[in-house]
Amino acid sequence: MTLFESVFAGNDAVYGLTEGAINQAIEQYGADKAVSFPNTAYSLPCYYAVTGTKISTLAELKEGLGVLKSLMTREKRTHDVFMSGVATALCAEFIEVLKYIDGATPYEEPCYGHLADAAIRELGVPLVTGDIPGVAVIIGKAASAEEAATLVKSYQSQGILVTLVGDIIDQLAEVNYKTGANVRVIPLGKDITAVIHVVSVALRAALIFGNVTPGDAATLMEYTMKRVPAFVNAFAPLNDVIVACGAGAIALGFPVITNQPDVARVPKSLICQTDVSKWNATSLEARDIKIKITNIDIPVAFASAFEGEIIRRKDMQVEFDGSRVDCAELVQTCDPSEVEDHKITVVGPEVDEMAEGSKNSIAYVVKVAGKNMQADFEPVIERKFHNYINCIEGVYHTGQRDMQRIRISHDAFNAGFRAKHLGEVLYAQVKNEFDAVVDKCEVVIYTDPAECTRVRHEVAIPIFEKRDERLDTLTDESVDVYYSCILCQAFSPSHVCVVTPERLGLCGAVSWLDAKATHQLDPNGPCQVITKERPIDENLGAYEDVDEAVQKLSQGALEHVTLYSIMQDPMTSCGCFECICGIEPFSNGVVIANREYAGMTPLGMTFPEMASMTGGGVQTPGFMGHGKHFISSKKFMKAEGGIERIVWMPKELKEFVADRLNATAKELYGIDNFTDMIGDETIAEDPETLVGFLTEKGHPALGLEPMM
Amino acid sequence: MALNGIQIFKLTPKKNCKECGCPTCMAFSMKVAQGAMQIDQCPHMSDEAIASLSEATAPPMKTIKIGTGSEEFTLGGETVLFRHEKTFVSKPRYAVSLCTGMDDATVEAKLAEIPKVDYDRIGERMYAELVYVNCMEGADAAAYTALVEKAAGLGRTLVLGCKDPETAKAALAVCKDSKPVLNGADASNYEAMNAVATEAGVVLGVSGKDINELYDTTAALEKLGNKNLVLDVTGADVKETFANAVMVRRAALKDQDRTFGYPSIVNLAKLAKGDHHLQAALASVFTMKYGSIIVMEQMTYAEALPLYGLRQNVFTDPQKPMKVEPGIYPLNGADENSLVVTTVDFALTYFVVSGELERSGVPLNLVINDAGGLSVLTSWAAGKFSGNSISKFIIENVEPKVKCRKLVIPGKVAVLKGDLEAKLPGWEIIVGPREAVQLVKFLKDMQ
Amino acid sequence: MPFNHKPQKFNAKINTVTIGSGDKTVTFGGDSTFPFYSFDAPAENTPKVGVEISDMGLEGFSAGIKAYYEGAETMGDIAKKAAAMEGADFLALTLEGGDPNGANKSIDELLAVVKEVAEAVDCPLVVEGCKNVEKDAELLPKVCEVLQGRNVLILSEKEENYKAIGAAAGLAYDQIVGAESAVDINLAKQLNVVTTQLGVNAQKIVMNIGSAAVGYGYEYVVSTMDRIKGAALSQNDNMLQMPIITPVSTETWGVKEAMASEADMPEWGSQDERGIDMEIMTAAADLAAGSDAVILRHPQSVATISKMIKALA
Repeated sequence: MTLFESVFAGNDAVYGLTEGAINQAIEQYGADKAVSFPNTAYSLPCYYAVTGTKISTLAELKEGLGVLKSLMTREKRTHDVFMSGVATALCAEFIEVLKYIDGATPYEEPCYGHLADAAIRELGVPLVTGDIPGVAVIIGKAASAEEAATLVKSYQSQGILVTLVGDIIDQLAEVNYKTGANVRVIPLGKDITAVIHVVSVALRAALIFGNVTPGDAATLMEYTMKRVPAFVNAFAPLNDVIVACGAGAIALGFPVITNQPDVARVPKSLICQTDVSKWNATSLEARDIKIKITNIDIPVAFASAFEGEIIRRKDMQVEFDGSRVDCAELVQTCDPSEVEDHKITVVGPEVDEMAEGSKNSIAYVVKVAGKNMQADFEPVIERKFHNYINCIEGVYHTGQRDMQRIRISHDAFNAGFRAKHLGEVLYAQVKNEFDAVVDKCEVVIYTDPAECTRVRHEVAIPIFEKRDERLDTLTDESVDVYYSCILCQAFSPSHVCVVTPERLGLCGAVSWLDAKATHQLDPNGPCQVITKERPIDENLGAYEDVDEAVQKLSQGALEHVTLYSIMQDPMTSCGCFECICGIEPFSNGVVIANREYAGMTPLGMTFPEMASMTGGGVQTPGFMGHGKHFISSKKFMKAEGGIERIVWMPKELKEFVADRLNATAKELYGIDNFTDMIGDETIAEDPETLVGFLTEKGHPALGLEPMM
Repeated sequence: MALNGIQIFKLTPKKNCKECGCPTCMAFSMKVAQGAMQIDQCPHMSDEAIASLSEATAPPMKTIKIGTGSEEFTLGGETVLFRHEKTFVSKPRYAVSLCTGMDDATVEAKLAEIPKVDYDRIGERMYAELVYVNCMEGADAAAYTALVEKAAGLGRTLVLGCKDPETAKAALAVCKDSKPVLNGADASNYEAMNAVATEAGVVLGVSGKDINELYDTTAALEKLGNKNLVLDVTGADVKETFANAVMVRRAALKDQDRTFGYPSIVNLAKLAKGDHHLQAALASVFTMKYGSIIVMEQMTYAEALPLYGLRQNVFTDPQKPMKVEPGIYPLNGADENSLVVTTVDFALTYFVVSGELERSGVPLNLVINDAGGLSVLTSWAAGKFSGNSISKFIIENVEPKVKCRKLVIPGKVAVLKGDLEAKLPGWEIIVGPREAVQLVKFLKDMQ
Repeated sequence: MPFNHKPQKFNAKINTVTIGSGDKTVTFGGDSTFPFYSFDAPAENTPKVGVEISDMGLEGFSAGIKAYYEGAETMGDIAKKAAAMEGADFLALTLEGGDPNGANKSIDELLAVVKEVAEAVDCPLVVEGCKNVEKDAELLPKVCEVLQGRNVLILSEKEENYKAIGAAAGLAYDQIVGAESAVDINLAKQLNVVTTQLGVNAQKIVMNIGSAAVGYGYEYVVSTMDRIKGAALSQNDNMLQMPIITPVSTETWGVKEAMASEADMPEWGSQDERGIDMEIMTAAADLAAGSDAVILRHPQSVATISKMIKALA
């Protein structure tokens, strides 16, 4: 039988039952008899939510039946299946409400049946906050009472609200499994129609929490799809009625997971998983539910207070040292099918098999998968490892990539800390902090020296090289968007950083990739997308989009900002800049001073003097704050001719940027050893001496157009 | 529109002669653009250049000086309406008022009360800098002069509230050398008052029955060549006064109307006579919005403590946070055996942390490091609150004076623990909470 | 040439938010000018003054405040006297006793206080949490539930617990959400954004942008308010157009100037006077910077600030 036939048949059967039951009730009580569920302002809640019409008598119920009939079209299209599913659910509501005639109490302990509005308001808050991360609807009879209890327990331990329909209720009672709203396991009723009581919760939540107008079925279904994280677990055997109800669930956005092997599958919606022990993982993945990890399972404390702890040699049980033996730390993006969430594997000896005081290899690969995960985020996540591992009591970490060093103290070892616990920490922290992009996470820890050598040289290093290459080829032209950063507005209210691939934030700490990741992780946070669709002058780096963004983000204090000019609307500075460049009129060039430099510059100004007029979000043409790495960028004051304008830098800074700057100068102008032409404090601290030096060296700036 | 440094530089002789005190013409130009130097401080600037620049670089609001010596104060010179736009430069000064209508005993009591409030707050002396001596209409000139003389005895700069030119002249005869303000010109007497003020060489205060009259009288005085003015914006009631204060300042700074480019006087003793609490509330409002001289009936500690705190906060440079002196601050009766707790010298951090520490009641030595006036994380990131700087300070300044060898560091710099342990042998380094509000509990738990 | 007054007109205004029920309501916000700039455009509304009481009764209140409440034995009595204070527009009940680091009262205990106060008075109510974000996330939704129908303002929803409190106050129980951030325009805006993304109507949000006593980093409060009002009016930023409420008393009565006894600081004079002026001057500065409502403790402060508002408006 096809899915269509099954749903239509189940729908017809339920409709027939409902019609019969209503007719019988009218015969018994008369058409004017009142019908309602207790303690709700929305009776009948599901029918009202979908149609916008309230029902209060048997006669109206009968009329409602006609409306349901109109939903039951029989074309073989998905729409017809969904609508028939909804009609089935609403029939169930009609059947259920008949049970409540004359104030009857049809449900007894442990079953709840209909839930009052107050219960929904109370459940709704933790649902919105994510304290209840999901709602499981379990229908039917498990293979054994133990299997039922195990499944329910798996959800319960994750904080998921469990509702039960059918024989599973008796199965739990058999093993004395505690149920009730206070433990978030709610048996609804033993008839399949009792499932409507959880649907009723979802739909009333949409009315109360989503402000959905009753009768606006499209918005209603969008709300349940997006905001009510419910899913259905249905035990085999399935009959047509259950399948029809399932179609209703799918229409609301709730996937159905079953172990009926021959069921017609619908990707992401109707899933067959014959191994019931995997239902939990399958359901969470299908409904995209993420469980917050509140407790990291390690035998020592984990807190930022331990971040600065240093483990000395005498206190050390073992160490891992990337500078001596093969080590690596790596985040790898994988396909979801390749990642088993929370799996932690140690390949090679554990710490208790290593000699005390020994130096060992370690390589840990954190495999992540997620719909929003991008390879660009890998280094952003990786860079946090240092902080994560350092926060473990009795564990010390320095370095990164394949040069990390880790020490585990005697105390931590004696408390039971092992290499696998590094995996626990990495797993928990990555899942918690990067939940916006990481759906699944698995950690493999290699301590086998041969494996470490393989991972380092065959896996990690090629990836690092690829990343560096990407960074080098990442240009302003090669990306579609830039990012704003307003982290510093707390003390510099009108400052907005525009971060591009070739121009990192002036603090030196926020690269384009960092900004991109920050935006992805916290869409309302300090980094926002700036499009670059409407250029005004590409040479200056002037864009209408950029101007609009800085106007908005500076609350109107800034009107125009160019990306590549220090003369026309230069980018503002908050005060965090690593360096400041300033125009030196006698040589046609610019002088750069870094924060660490305490002496005088040929401008006649010290770094603090330059800083006092460059900071605070003001535009000072001729002066601009920037990061150290920006100096060797091809975009550095490109509008004024680029890096060949640089005439002076403190010696220390010059040495720091020499390799990259010389490479850029060679590429752009064919000049070898450009830094030899640039003055420093040992050569000149006044403009006259500087110009003399530049003349002697034939510095190109002297021959350029005047900057003003 | 103000000129930027590059535009000014173009007009300089570009000789780098250093005669202005700056090493280069560029440095000089940038200082002029910032308002830190005047264009005529360059001896080689051409007359045309000075003429074209003075207009463009002249401030929208004049800077007026009153008083002499240590009691000299600068009023006005503001360039922005909101402190976040740049910075406020001249803080308001508070005057306590005396009046010819007071009996001798009241005057004596006032004169005895005024000097009592005189204290230091983060390096700034806090006291009523001015005394306002009001002359009621028809008061006897000799009596007024006697009162002025008594007030002058306090050594504070005076503001004479007197509308009669002859009386004013007599009073000025006894106090003009201390450069008081003569607040008394209005539409009816401005010519005579102008003569008195100019002759005595003092700042003249102008008032009007409404803002239009104030404007016209000010314009008339400027026409007479007097640009050494303050504007008494006090109106018939609180509402009008507030409107005047804002409109005058806004006209000057936003609409570039130089006629209103003068500091203001707000007389709360007149607006809320006898109601000290309402005067306190209004003093706060006019400190925020555009009072330059604020006159009150009294300045006891109850008014001074909050008001001077407010003024100190509002008139800080937004880019230069307030700093407290580095040193050891014993709290809750601490001695040399008490626990050592450290944080940065950023005033806000100091106040919040010391407040919580005091609340805990635990005796301890709060050690303030020189961290450039930055908050904990910012100074740490800038390398100004580091293992080196903390350990150096502890070894040089704390070890000789304090015997306790337990040091609590802010939770936000837990990362410094290992480094400090290495650099401070013999010390136990304890990581404190991340937020000051958690200190009380932290210290209780430690006990 | 006569003085040319150029009014600063904005095509935007601060939202109006009404709290309270029946004929006992009070409205915050509504203006389209900087505070008290009625010479730019007529004032739509005036700032409001609330009286703070605490579940801890009169514990920790100054002698002068205690004197005012003399004879009040129960929380109900205290609430009635507070509501009767001259110049009071609404009542603010803080549940500071719930702080796990303080008295750590149970939620049921606190709810009993809430009910007692709500039954004693029919004036508009503000309820402040205990400042502990986890406890507030549990406590305040329950407060919303027991006060259904009273249309109260619930302080404070913070970045850490906005979901629980925003959903309870703004969605489940139809109260007004008080969004609290720490003296930073971007944090204030971000909290409003995420709160509205929960589904809470922007017109049902009041901001507490954070506060300080004057002298205690108050410049941040001034600049944050200046910038928020500027962005709300001149940039028409609808995520910053919520009215601002500022709990003044909790800040000012805890600083040294108000707490030091006369025995410790004899030259400073009357402790009560110092507390009053600290409260008055901070409140006046808040109102001049942009608060649409302030919460105070001392009857003298309430009367004075209310008088000042009338004089300025």
